[in-house]
Amino acid sequence: MNCAIAINEVSKRYKHFLLDRINLLVEQGTVMGLIGPNGAGKSTIMRIMLGLIQADSGTVNILGRSIPANASQAKQEIGYYSEDMRMYNKETLGWHMQLVRSIYPSWDEQYAKELLDRFGLIESQKVKGLSHGQRVKSHLLLVFARRPKLLVLDEPTTGLDPVARHEILSELMRVIEDDTRTILFSSHNTQDVEQISDNITFIDRGRMIASDNRDEFMNHWRRIRLQVPPQWEMPKLPGIKLETSFRNYRTLSHSQFDESISQSLQATGADVEAVERMTLEEIFVSSVMRGREGQDR
Amino acid sequence: MNLQMVGTLFLKDLFLSRRMLFSYSLAAIASVAILMAPDKTISFVGLILALTVAIGMGMHMIGELVLEERKNQTLAFVMSLPTNAIEYTLAKISVVLATYAIPWSVLIVGSLVLTLALPSAKDGSIPGTLIIFLLLLASFSIQLATAVISESMGATIAVMVGGNVFLNLFMMKFFQVPEIVEATKSDTITWSGLVLSTIGIEIAVVLISVLLAFYIQSKKRSFV
Repeated sequence: MNCAIAINEVSKRYKHFLLDRINLLVEQGTVMGLIGPNGAGKSTIMRIMLGLIQADSGTVNILGRSIPANASQAKQEIGYYSEDMRMYNKETLGWHMQLVRSIYPSWDEQYAKELLDRFGLIESQKVKGLSHGQRVKSHLLLVFARRPKLLVLDEPTTGLDPVARHEILSELMRVIEDDTRTILFSSHNTQDVEQISDNITFIDRGRMIASDNRDEFMNHWRRIRLQVPPQWEMPKLPGIKLETSFRNYRTLSHSQFDESISQSLQATGADVEAVERMTLEEIFVSSVMRGREGQDR
Repeated sequence: MNLQMVGTLFLKDLFLSRRMLFSYSLAAIASVAILMAPDKTISFVGLILALTVAIGMGMHMIGELVLEERKNQTLAFVMSLPTNAIEYTLAKISVVLATYAIPWSVLIVGSLVLTLALPSAKDGSIPGTLIIFLLLLASFSIQLATAVISESMGATIAVMVGGNVFLNLFMMKFFQVPEIVEATKSDTITWSGLVLSTIGIEIAVVLISVLLAFYIQSKKRSFV
């Protein structure tokens, strides 16, 4: 596998937070969605990838370069946007474009003009007069127009109105059409990630709790609705979790569902009323809760 | 080290500080003009104005170019560019020193030229003037190093207050030394051992502050 991102056993300890032995491989030309609640460690992982924070242990290799030793060279080919990043308020978008153009030989002026038009941005407008959505789009224009091999986008759709979100996701889809370009995209909005990602990684409290192909997630996870007899005990099957319990009704989730699971449940006296597909958000929440229960035990 | 990137970051900050640079250069010219007035009271006002401009512009430049970068979250934008902590620090320290040096040079060169040109001014006061302006530069360098290392407005202001107290005490004590008092009344410039060693210490403080800032920056494990 030709990896654009290879993170191996990376840990970083803060006073109240531990990023714990993260392993992440992202194949070149694919889109990896990083989903986690606020404070899960998504931004820390991305900052370590850019060399902005040094990990305490583990190795990071981005586009064939070891990080942090070769972070400057790697950043020539990385387009990074983070929601806590700001441009200079007193200057115009055009000034920022000029600055970025002077640094990146790969800057595509024609594409930048197209993005200005598509995003409805005005080059001569000062940054302080821009709305939140316009600021995000301006940042992304500066990132996209340099045509980086790797896009690292930290919560780019957070706080945006539906139209701005659509514009940004549409542009990302255009970027994906070039299958040599890789994207790492973080969000706590599962819908956005589901739309554009090939692979998805769930992270919570500094730990990776699941990582798989998007379709594998969607195909293997199921919600099972049961009606159970009195004194019913849930069988100890791998991948099963009790989600809700109300009178003689139970809702379970299963991470590796196949027909034999239904048969095993029926063998305990339970009546399987429904087996349903789960949304990515439901899979994410269930994964997080399983991970936390594992940690708490 | 990518010197082209250092140059780009330097020019970026120079452009961002253009209004500040212009205003303080004008204020420095005005201070020197007032300082050289024949009337002693007006001249004293000029001296106070020159010192105030030098101290005020130092704090303003450090605040605007160093501390605001983190507060306004533009640091993350800059560090997303193909650069590293050392290149960033080199560009930042160079541009803040250069931005400070322009009005500071107006103050010092203006004062020295006018002292030499005006018959009422004693040429023997030139070493003392040089020492005071170098002390301002040394104090500024310590503030700059504190700001770069700590990224804290509180710590930088504390250093500035300490520097100002020291400046006033120094001026009070230094200009009571008989050798210096005699020299300032004279029409000839005397580079005594005391004067040269004081200048040497001031230059050393500037260099040590800058090197210390680089050293500590290079050891930082988190930069945003």
